[in-house]
Amino acid sequence: MKKYLPWLSALIWLAAVGSGMGVLWVYDHTPGGDAGVPSQWPARSKMHLASDQPTLIMFAHPKCACTRASIGELAVLMTHCQNRVKAIVVFLRPKGTREDWLHTDLWRSAEAIPGVTAQADEGGGESRNFHVTTSGHVVLYDVDGKLLFSGGITSARGHFGDNAGRSDIVQWLHHENAGTETPVFGCSLLNPVQASNSNTIVCTP
Amino acid sequence: MTTKLDQDGQVTERTATLLKERLDSDHKRIDHMFAWLMAVQWLAGVAAALWISPRAWEGEFSHTHIHVWVALFLGGTISGFPIFMALTRPGATLTRHVIAVGQMLSCGLLIHLTGGRIESHFQYFGALAFLAFYRDWRVLLTATVVAATDHFVRGMYWPQSIFGVLVASWWRWLEHAGWIVFEDVFLVLAIRQTLREMLGVAERQAKLETVNEMIERTVNERTSELRREIAERARAEESLRLLGSAVEQSKEAILITDAELQRPGPRILFVNPAFTNMTGYTAEEAIGQTPRILQGPRTDKTVLNRLRHNLQRGESFAGEGINYRKDGTEFNLEWQIAPIRDPGAKVTHFVAIERDITERKRAQEELENIHKQLLEASRRDGMAEIASNVLHNVGNVLNSVNISTNLIAERVRKSKIPGLAKVVDLLEQHAHDLGDFITLDSRGKHLPAHVRDLSECLTADQRAMIGELESLRRNVEHIKEIVAMQQSYATASGVKELINVVELVEDGICINDEGLLRHGVEVVREFEQVPPMNVEKHKILQILVNLLSNAKYACEESQRADKRVTVRVANDEGRAIISVTDNGVGIPLENLTRIFNHGFTTRKGGHGFGLHSGALAAKEMGGALCVHSDGPGHGAIFTLELPCPTQEHPNG
Repeated sequence: MKKYLPWLSALIWLAAVGSGMGVLWVYDHTPGGDAGVPSQWPARSKMHLASDQPTLIMFAHPKCACTRASIGELAVLMTHCQNRVKAIVVFLRPKGTREDWLHTDLWRSAEAIPGVTAQADEGGGESRNFHVTTSGHVVLYDVDGKLLFSGGITSARGHFGDNAGRSDIVQWLHHENAGTETPVFGCSLLNPVQASNSNTIVCTP
Repeated sequence: MTTKLDQDGQVTERTATLLKERLDSDHKRIDHMFAWLMAVQWLAGVAAALWISPRAWEGEFSHTHIHVWVALFLGGTISGFPIFMALTRPGATLTRHVIAVGQMLSCGLLIHLTGGRIESHFQYFGALAFLAFYRDWRVLLTATVVAATDHFVRGMYWPQSIFGVLVASWWRWLEHAGWIVFEDVFLVLAIRQTLREMLGVAERQAKLETVNEMIERTVNERTSELRREIAERARAEESLRLLGSAVEQSKEAILITDAELQRPGPRILFVNPAFTNMTGYTAEEAIGQTPRILQGPRTDKTVLNRLRHNLQRGESFAGEGINYRKDGTEFNLEWQIAPIRDPGAKVTHFVAIERDITERKRAQEELENIHKQLLEASRRDGMAEIASNVLHNVGNVLNSVNISTNLIAERVRKSKIPGLAKVVDLLEQHAHDLGDFITLDSRGKHLPAHVRDLSECLTADQRAMIGELESLRRNVEHIKEIVAMQQSYATASGVKELINVVELVEDGICINDEGLLRHGVEVVREFEQVPPMNVEKHKILQILVNLLSNAKYACEESQRADKRVTVRVANDEGRAIISVTDNGVGIPLENLTRIFNHGFTTRKGGHGFGLHSGALAAKEMGGALCVHSDGPGHGAIFTLELPCPTQEHPNG
């Protein structure tokens, strides 16, 4: 029995690691909530729909680590589709937060992407206009204000790499029909109270 | 001596051992290195989680990101077991495979924690390179299988998590695994090359060790030999010192010469102080000379010739002779000379040990004189014993002579011859009428009958006296023989002659015959034929007379009816055995050991020198006189053993 103890221990160890990995996978691959993005550009939005090219808006939490991958994927996307889209990253600034809330590396990363504009979403009004609740959520509207795509552009929470969302957007921007929805992986843009009031699913651990 | 085959086998075996030891050592070292690496990876994972995604947000609220807990606990679990194995079972095969699995899992976790960046996949290649340190392709195989399985499973069930697409080709995992295998190929080749080099190093080391071992063994053997030689040399030096001291202190004169036997003869190389004391020559005077300086006119040439003959043949010599001191005085010496040989058996020196025996010679001569005197006295004592026996026997015979004489005298005194004279007177008175007287006279009528009776009586007396006279003559003749025998033995002192042993024994019995007969002792003779002996017969006779006399007294003292003395003569492989066995009173054990001592006797009237002189005489003749008795009442056996030197000249 003593002879097989190391092997038994190794098997138990593998089982424990497998379980932990499973938990991690479940977390990483659990998408955020989707409250139904309006199929037409919301009239209440203070942002302007581009008239010569599609408009892409990414809603982001300035402190969400998972969104770093979404910003990265946006940079890749913009590399492929420069001058084909008007891109805006809207960073949430909840009420009562200080001015420097927005000044994070994500803000700076977004600003650094050519063709991308970063702007603040004071109090989360724009998020509510577009019914977006998860950081990293991307919406794409054509020049007519018609929703082409809604979803995330990462394959899992905080994961870089090729993914279906980015692929679909690139196709749309190349005037090809593509997918319209992908799951969004990221932090919630709503605090727990707002989340419970809006009856939306929050991607919390 | 180790053969080359043995050496080759030894090198091969040692090479395998060294390689295994080196690999085991490396495995343990790398296990410990990975223990540290895994710990660092764990901490790095925690740090990365804290850095990259410390918190998860919900609006303006936040809490600790799950990646932090995962990095802490799952990362700890992934790293903990390999660290435990590396610390508790370093070098074990399972340990490095667990580490390989742990490394791959750590890579996967770190990829997760770093957001799945494609760059982070390079960790796999780094980990594989680290694992290649084990120089065990099986470890790489395990790691590769884990990575491939991860890609395969995730590709099958969640392709976008690993390939970034929702639908990936079924072979896509093979592409990813292929890159790992691609690296594995180079790593395996590198491992093979390294192992080959390690084998070469081990082989060289094994050869070096073998050579070193041989050298060391040779050195040890040589050292042992040197130690032995040194010890032997020390012993030899000690022996030499002792020998030198012994030679210096010796009372015997010792001289060493070279082996040159041609004239002027061997040169003296060494003499000890005793030589100087004995001869008067100092070492300086003697060294370089030949031993001839010690020889002189009375030195026995025969001895010198024998000495030369022996030395020329390389043989030892021992002898006695007369030498001369430096002042010219003579001295007797006894000397022994032995050759000294070199390892090739060639005689290189002679060593002589000489002893001054002048005093001993003188003492020996005196001793011999005393011995001769003693022998003569002994002989005289023996002769006195014989004479006593002779006189005893003669006395017995003289008794018979006396009886015979008395009988004759009585016969003569009682003779009827006076009656014959009366008849003659009566006849003369009646000469004139002799016829009438015989026929008519009453006395004359009885006269013829009386003459006839007288004649018969005289005839009887004559016969009786003739018989007595014959007895008398025999007795006188016996006395004559005894006296003549005594005279013959008495006059034969110191002269050897060839004798018949049985006849000599018969003479001995004859001398004691009367005494034995008178005491009723039966004499039994058991004689074997013995070759003639060249001896002094009176000595044997002296011994025999004494032994028979003692046997007679022993039988008489026992007062038994069947008194018996058995005299045996036997031939025992060239030795004559004469034994006298009696069934008399026997001899107590305590007396057996001193029965031959001078003056010892148990017989009343004995002198105690009969057996003593008999034993001396037997020894003088080269024989021995022995006694045996089973104790009182069991008689005794006296045995005289004599050599039979028949080839020797009677006067030799």
